[in-house]
Amino acid sequence: MRAKGEQGAVNDPLTIAGREFRSRLITGTGKYPSFEAMRDAVVASGCELVTVAVRRIDLDDVGDAITDWVPEGVMLLPNTAGCQTAEEAVRVARLARAGGLPDWIKLEVIPDPRYLLPDGEETLRAAAQLVGEGFTVLPYVQPDPVLQRKLEAAGCATVMPLAAPIGSGRGLKLRHSIEIMVEQAEVPVIVDAGLGAPSQAAECMEMGADGVLVNTAIGQADDPAGMARAFAQAVEAGRAAHLAGLIDESREARPSSPITGLVT
Amino acid sequence: MNIVVNGKPVALEPRATVSRLLGELGLEGPYALVERNGEPVERERYAETALEEGDSLVVARPVAGG
Repeated sequence: MRAKGEQGAVNDPLTIAGREFRSRLITGTGKYPSFEAMRDAVVASGCELVTVAVRRIDLDDVGDAITDWVPEGVMLLPNTAGCQTAEEAVRVARLARAGGLPDWIKLEVIPDPRYLLPDGEETLRAAAQLVGEGFTVLPYVQPDPVLQRKLEAAGCATVMPLAAPIGSGRGLKLRHSIEIMVEQAEVPVIVDAGLGAPSQAAECMEMGADGVLVNTAIGQADDPAGMARAFAQAVEAGRAAHLAGLIDESREARPSSPITGLVT
Repeated sequence: MNIVVNGKPVALEPRATVSRLLGELGLEGPYALVERNGEPVERERYAETALEEGDSLVVARPVAGG
């Protein structure tokens, strides 16, 4: 008798700071060929949380506002990209919140322009300050299980370790440390940065990450909406596989067919 | 009255508010973020915050980013 199963992967919601998201994929809004392409990709991704940066307006060329292109119902997550110290990041977060953006902040403190690696010490300092001021803080960090504990103790809502340098597309290069973070996590672990292919996102989710944040791999694809859909499917599949329970690896073969009652 | 916005001089009538400035700049949209003399201005106070001669403002907004 054939069992009647549910079709497709339906993920359990991701909860960050008490707020539920049906999608475990978060996308960035940068590096798209146009706002229209960004909007179409966000819709195709099914994501409910997108990052934005905060910049001074060029008074001589005001142009379009990105907020006019983010689909309704998708929450904006301002980041502190470009900040090199805790003070700069706190300043940007305060400006964003005062001006009406959500009091959630993707905290990035990055002094190094070549590899864009975050400064853990400054990030922790800014996180403690911002949590104290009532922000929901999602810090971008190197995969460091010790720093993770400190950020959790400071009251961060997630911890977001990089898989590989931002925009590099190199995939889950720092898997070993992220595995430890997933194992000991008290708040969601969102793998952020460096994912270049949907298979890499699936790998993160199979490992037990709570979500992934993807920007460049979608925004720079030939067909951003198509790639956004592919990442959404990979994240769903990876999460479903994690919940279903992956088998243990074995060095030797284990037959799938009976070894007795052979015909020959 | 002369103030500085994003490093550029802007002339406004005396005691113009933040809302008035944003209107002049064509930035009445939902997410014009304003810092006045280093302090963020709450959106709810844009209409009542009067600017003063020599004020230095940053006017920012969300842009594409990861």
